[in-house]
Amino acid sequence: MIIDVHAHWGPWFFTMDVAGANLSAMNRFGIGLSIVSATEAVIYDAPAGNRALAAWLETQPRHLGYVTVNPRRPADAERDLRAYLPTGRFVGVKIHTDYTGSPVSSPQTREALAMVAQAGVPALVHTWGATVLDLAQACLDTPGLRVIAGHMGADGYAHAIEAANACDRLFLEPCYSHAPAGRVARVAAAVDPARLLFGTDSTLIDPASAFGAVAAAGLDAETAELVAWRNAARLFGLDITA
Amino acid sequence: MTVFDASELVGDLKVSLDVDVLVGAYPDRDGPPGTPRSVLDALAAHGIGAGAVASLRAALFDVRSGNDEVLALGSAVVPVGAVDLRDPIGAVREIDRLAEAGVRAIRLFPDEQGVEAGFPSVRHVARKAAGLGLVVLTGGDVRRFWQPFAGLDAKVVFLDTHFYHLGDFLVVAADEPGFHTSTRLLNSPDALETVPADRLLYGSRTPHYEPVVPLLRLATSGLKPEELAAVAGGNARRLLG
Repeated sequence: MIIDVHAHWGPWFFTMDVAGANLSAMNRFGIGLSIVSATEAVIYDAPAGNRALAAWLETQPRHLGYVTVNPRRPADAERDLRAYLPTGRFVGVKIHTDYTGSPVSSPQTREALAMVAQAGVPALVHTWGATVLDLAQACLDTPGLRVIAGHMGADGYAHAIEAANACDRLFLEPCYSHAPAGRVARVAAAVDPARLLFGTDSTLIDPASAFGAVAAAGLDAETAELVAWRNAARLFGLDITA
Repeated sequence: MTVFDASELVGDLKVSLDVDVLVGAYPDRDGPPGTPRSVLDALAAHGIGAGAVASLRAALFDVRSGNDEVLALGSAVVPVGAVDLRDPIGAVREIDRLAEAGVRAIRLFPDEQGVEAGFPSVRHVARKAAGLGLVVLTGGDVRRFWQPFAGLDAKVVFLDTHFYHLGDFLVVAADEPGFHTSTRLLNSPDALETVPADRLLYGSRTPHYEPVVPLLRLATSGLKPEELAAVAGGNARRLLG
């Protein structure tokens, strides 16, 4: 059993028709549950994407959703959190700092993260390079906030180690289109295993990428189980047994 | 065995020739030392029969001694000569030396050498390699690095084609029958299935990247058995011998 905490639903801006293959890809890699954000919400229009995702999730037993928040649109965010979190089909918040032009350190993203903390759900935040350190600072400064550093800083995974060790409410997930040798192994060796999650960036990236990167790390059985699902189940409050 | 075991998914896929292998280390990274023995062991551990190997010493410091290090590896590898694009005069001199030694491919490291696609040295080296019928393995952004090779009837393998830029590769490759791409960064759910199989070569960048990632993507792709065989080494053998 694997829980994918970083996945997407909806079309991309490439010629890429892969939605139909999503469930078979999940099956191939043993992904039982996938937590998705709507691509439309992430890339362009958060309320429209959240609305479409809410309708789709009603028919999807193997997917849960993130309410996507554009930090530049706090009123939309507040309304969407109120509308969708109580449905039980949405279990967290997604914030993409680049598509919204809202770095983690910006006032609007810090305010959005405070709103998320208030809502009591985890936030998956896009991090790249040293920005993961800004996320750790925001986490330290925001009581009760629980955050997942999406991509665990990508090429900045050394910063992700520092970030995770700085704030015990910060979690790491590894998806990245590159696979530098030893990246996951080094993070796993240096971070509390209770803070490691599994994410793929599907349907943008095939699960083979993150699965292979984690496989290459050769995690021990206990850590692998934490990464695969136990940590995610605890973080999102999911009633799941292996 | 854990849930993250890749061996069953990779199954019996064997790569006979990996087009993107390096010996040596990057001084600016905490990567592996890349000793020839450790690199050959890493390939073997992943069921990869052989690698087209180039030297980071040659790419970053001294082309001649670095390339000689690769030539000394013998039949265990397909030797690839690195040239220094920061030195176009020396680069063509080294290409002549390598061609005389029987080397059939050269490798370009534009990112590592701080060289852009529009620099005169790239076109100079591209013309020289194409004139000698050498295959060029090149790093760099394919959206830019196709240009110096255009119209030369060049045989090129783009090693850094990212799936974000696959459309650009496909449109230029349609006009250039000698353009090929490595699989390394083509890890979207349909990228491998979109490229004509005769233009696709398995590349891992062992030991600085995890070879199991492109291996797993290829093994679980929608390619037919004959296409898999071509990508897993058939195409590379056709180009590199």
